[in-house]
Amino acid sequence: MKRSFARRAQLIAGVAVLVMTAVAGCSTRGASGTTGTGDAPKKSSPSTVRVALVPGGAHPYFQPWKATMSKAKADFGLGAVTFNETAEWDQAKQNNLLTSLAAQGYNAFGIFGVSPTDINSTFSDLKSKGFAVASLGSCPAGGADKADFCLSTDVELAAYRAAQADIKAMGGHGTLVHLTGNNVDSNTQRRIAGVKKAVAETNGQVKLLTTVTDIDTDVQTAQKAVSDLLTAHGSAINGIVSTAYNPAVAAAAAVKRGNLPIKIVAIDDDPKILAGIGDGSVAATVTQNPVGQAYVGSWALTQIQSGACQVRTPGVVVDSGSFVVTRGSVATYDQERQAKTKELLSSFKSTVLSCS
Amino acid sequence: MNTTEQVGQPGTDRPPPGRPWTVRSHRLPPGSIQRLGLLAIIAVLVFAFGSARSSFYNQQLTVFPLLRDIATFTVVGLSQMAALSVGHMNLAVGRMAAFSAMFMGLAYQDWHLPLYPGLAVGLAAGAAIGSLTGWIISATGVNSFVVTLAMDFALLGLVSLVYSQFSTTAAFTTQPAGMDGLRTYSLADLCAGNVCGSPAIPQILLFTGLAMLVVGYLYARTRVGRELLLVGSNIRAARLSGIPDRRRVILAHGLSGTLAGLAGFMLAVTSGSFTAGIGSQFMIPSFLGPILGGTLLTGGVVSVVGTLLGTALVQVIRQGLTTLGVGLESLDVYLGVILLLTLSAGRIGSVVSHRRAVKTR
Repeated sequence: MKRSFARRAQLIAGVAVLVMTAVAGCSTRGASGTTGTGDAPKKSSPSTVRVALVPGGAHPYFQPWKATMSKAKADFGLGAVTFNETAEWDQAKQNNLLTSLAAQGYNAFGIFGVSPTDINSTFSDLKSKGFAVASLGSCPAGGADKADFCLSTDVELAAYRAAQADIKAMGGHGTLVHLTGNNVDSNTQRRIAGVKKAVAETNGQVKLLTTVTDIDTDVQTAQKAVSDLLTAHGSAINGIVSTAYNPAVAAAAAVKRGNLPIKIVAIDDDPKILAGIGDGSVAATVTQNPVGQAYVGSWALTQIQSGACQVRTPGVVVDSGSFVVTRGSVATYDQERQAKTKELLSSFKSTVLSCS
Repeated sequence: MNTTEQVGQPGTDRPPPGRPWTVRSHRLPPGSIQRLGLLAIIAVLVFAFGSARSSFYNQQLTVFPLLRDIATFTVVGLSQMAALSVGHMNLAVGRMAAFSAMFMGLAYQDWHLPLYPGLAVGLAAGAAIGSLTGWIISATGVNSFVVTLAMDFALLGLVSLVYSQFSTTAAFTTQPAGMDGLRTYSLADLCAGNVCGSPAIPQILLFTGLAMLVVGYLYARTRVGRELLLVGSNIRAARLSGIPDRRRVILAHGLSGTLAGLAGFMLAVTSGSFTAGIGSQFMIPSFLGPILGGTLLTGGVVSVVGTLLGTALVQVIRQGLTTLGVGLESLDVYLGVILLLTLSAGRIGSVVSHRRAVKTR
């Protein structure tokens, strides 16, 4: 019986090797379905362009995209627009969603990729099928960008500025803690690098006590992590910089509740954070420009897909801006942000795109 | 012992004479009826989604990615099925995929291995971690739920640690020659002379076919496979029959780890890089496919084809709803309701056929 089993095992191994060899040896043609020619597309009306904005999943950050899409459709005369947040932070699901939208007739895509190291493959696939593609809100990792352009917050710069603001609020010395999101996301690694850079510039005046990762999944997780942190090191901490949304909300609430002398710098402009700046429990927040990303991104995608313009340097990265908001600027920061959006639009018209 | 792979065995429920029409209906084993039911439901859904939106039949934009997902998640289902066959479960199936993918990423990035040797390294890592899990379960006698849950946590930490140590972007992005082709190539790119395959069928599906062949052969045609099922069905009886139950448990978990590694490779190929996040979405689908397909949670009964059909059903529903433009709030609700109806339909069918069988007596 043992011999029989050994023979069968050999048979299976033989079949396996044969199939693998066949698969490896027969791939003689290029990928089917590649329809892109590389030539400039023929000019068409903006009404032929159907723009889809696809975030990596549901998150408060992307909600301004939804409202901005309708404005972009009216302002630019687009054929159709859609906002779809059903990717559930899974790259495979996002890829399927994108191809499904393409099958439904959408031909220009603004994408916040789930996985910065994988999203270039998705961009290449869509580009090869003749669609205009923009990386919005996050750029691919590794320097190369296979989309037409990337319009995003420079996350390392934003984290650096947040840490600088916190260090300033702490009086230039003391102990800092960094709260952030998914440790295995390359954007998180960039944020960690930004905070470390700001701390290093203090020449030892500020010490980074710890970087707490993976606590942006929900408010409860963040609350527990902040509570544990304050229990263990509360008296030793002078500042908390949070580069993720849920830990920022949790830290602001915990510090306010305990009336602790800890300076908090948060991320984004959620009403809770802005209220915290108003009552002094949050020292500052670093806001981004999601409206500018969606509006300017939609315009540029329309110009590229309709053939009116081409990107001068394919894969160019444009910073959509980040703004440090303190108690003094809480009433005026949105004007600054709107001005940045206007500046971005004119910059795309004059330098990023080449229009005939 | 009942494996749904043993189609064609003489039926034990011989109908009474004089009712020939019931003979035919009872010759089909229950597993086959369930699989045919699944196939019918999938066909109805494909027709319904296609009628509602013709874009559901788009070969390159809908069918190709759908089959690519079915390919990967079927292997994920087979991985869980291997553990279920001995009455265990593998909660670390996703993390084992990440562990194997990590070795493959290291093999390609730091050791500069070609595609298939790198895959072999990853599969060996998966087999090793799976076997270790099986050994812990059989040596300590602790429930597989607890051991695999603990393994899941341990691997989560280990994988994150290695990625942060060896990469700056929490991923291994080196792609060996042929990897990009596997992601985009279909059978239309696989030609024998002038005859090429369909552009709707991804080449990566061949890995799934191969895995199904090997696993199906193991359970349906070998003594070891039957021993695995007997261990799952009744471990005391298996032990008394002289079956080395501990070794069979280790084998089942080793097989589960190997298949998880293969699924991790397929997902990395589909996505483009080897990241620590690979497999984080595997756990629930790993149970859905086999259970819908007729594999028992209690062990002793497995179905390889059923796992494919169960996985296909879930993916067809998801793809169909996405094509219809169902929003995030509704998508999971519809998915849950359709799955519940499908499971209920199977159960109602078996109850009706059981009542008919009783009446005929």
